[in-house]
Amino acid sequence: MSQMLSPDMTIAAEATAKAKIEVKNLNFYYGQSKALKDITLSLPERSVTAFIGPSGCGKSTLLRVFNRIYELYPKQTAEGQVLLDGQNILDRSQDLNLLRTKIGMVFQKPTPFPMSIYENIAFGVRLYEKISKSEMDGRVEQALKRAALWTEVKDKLNASGLSLSGGQQQRLCIARTVAVKPEVILLDEPASALDPLSTAKIEELIDELQADYTIVIVTHNMQQAARVSKQTAFMYLGELVEFDRTEKIFTSPREKRTQDYITGRFG
Amino acid sequence: MSAVQEALPAIRGSRDATVRRFALTDAIFHGLTRAAAILVLVLLGGVAISLFAGSWQALSTFGFSFLTSESWNPVTEKFGALAPIYGTIVTSAIAILIAVPLGIGIAIFLTELCPRPLRRPIGMAVELLAGIPSIIYGIWGLFVLAPFLQTTVQPFIIGVFHGIPGLNSLFAGPPYGIGLLTSSLILAIMVLPFITSITKDVFDTVPPVLKESAYGIGCTTWEVTRRVVIPYTRIGIMGGVMVGLGRALGETMAVTFVIGNAHRISTSLFAPATTISATIANEFTEAVGDLYTSSLVALGLILFVITFLILAIARYMLMRIDARTGA
Repeated sequence: MSQMLSPDMTIAAEATAKAKIEVKNLNFYYGQSKALKDITLSLPERSVTAFIGPSGCGKSTLLRVFNRIYELYPKQTAEGQVLLDGQNILDRSQDLNLLRTKIGMVFQKPTPFPMSIYENIAFGVRLYEKISKSEMDGRVEQALKRAALWTEVKDKLNASGLSLSGGQQQRLCIARTVAVKPEVILLDEPASALDPLSTAKIEELIDELQADYTIVIVTHNMQQAARVSKQTAFMYLGELVEFDRTEKIFTSPREKRTQDYITGRFG
Repeated sequence: MSAVQEALPAIRGSRDATVRRFALTDAIFHGLTRAAAILVLVLLGGVAISLFAGSWQALSTFGFSFLTSESWNPVTEKFGALAPIYGTIVTSAIAILIAVPLGIGIAIFLTELCPRPLRRPIGMAVELLAGIPSIIYGIWGLFVLAPFLQTTVQPFIIGVFHGIPGLNSLFAGPPYGIGLLTSSLILAIMVLPFITSITKDVFDTVPPVLKESAYGIGCTTWEVTRRVVIPYTRIGIMGGVMVGLGRALGETMAVTFVIGNAHRISTSLFAPATTISATIANEFTEAVGDLYTSSLVALGLILFVITFLILAIARYMLMRIDARTGA
């Protein structure tokens, strides 16, 4: 099932930290076209990893492999291995619903469900846990506090999730993701549709969340990657060009292409 | 520089002409679209007025008892609309009760679960159902469905519910084959494609990313559908149900074949009955007296009002749902 890999093929950013997700020789196809080419990298536990690169480089695709959300669509296939705590999640026997409770995802545009603020959070919790009303109240409050939204919505928990502003909706989505107690949180350009103030709040939040969660963020905004992440992966045309500690990538990248991209010469 | 300035007046002149031409065509376009919109109101008003005028004789003769009387006697010229009203509402309601869960089920299967190669054939088959002329449903109902129900389903149900209070009168014999329930089944088949295709279309409007985020917290397809897709599209689904209900209320030919055309109200769903449109279609040629004709037009007016009321109630319900969720 698993072939042995020589140690030097794994680019270890933090040799000391335990790897939460290990990607080995991952190829991804949209029909015939190859979108990810032999990606190998390992994401350390409880820290923020950023994926940067120009549009169409495959960073979002890679993120969408981690919770296998791509499987909702026909003709999208992944080959290789993605190990979550040593278990290959691409294995056919992997239960998708269980996987997705362990790996939460927040999208570019806020996607509150068509229900109340309270229900937006309770809904996901209720799927896998039978808890009393008072416990649920506690969970909802805790999740909203975690997402720095509690003070703004505590008096209108029964209002529709759609009545919130864009930035609040996005924090609601983060609260919803946190509430089901995942181990990994995937953020697909979570702040690109938000104003600078809301963006700052989201970034603060990411910084706090990394104490408990392994976070992967896809972003177009290089300053954002530099601000929030511990390690950064630069991707280009479906390849992983360089993966290293964030300050290394932004100050002294090994590759010319990385250098060109972060200095704005292309992309 | 100077060459451009010399050419400027000429350009301005031709521009002014163009602008005037645009203003004219725009005014014509504006007028035509407004006339089309007004035409709808005129037609609606014309239909209402002629129905009212035509039914005046019957309504003034029988007064309010036209709505509450069950008797329909052309010989003594005593007419009451209660039986056809009852038949119309009950057949349509049962048809909707059957067709809505089926239609939503088909739509869910087609949009969420169906393997892609099967999606088009099944979708097209459902839409072809809508293309079958109602007369064909009528003869199929009369010659195939009704005898089948008469010999197998109805005796079985009558046997099963015999002795259970309530149900035994709802499903009481003798099994005629034709009757209220048979009409409802035919109507359910006829409105199914409308409900299915509208529901399918509104399901397709759910943003993929919303479904992804529901799957992303570990929802199964059932949970995504039940808690996200259906709430998100409920107004569209209600719209589809209303279109189906409108069809069912007014459907004439197929119902006339299988309802039995009996002017009485029976508690049994197996008993022959009649609907407003079936009565009108059946009896217009034999309506000799003015009062008889006027009574039939009055039935038409009632159908018009029922349809209008049902749409109004549906709108009101939707408004209340929206106000509650704050969506």
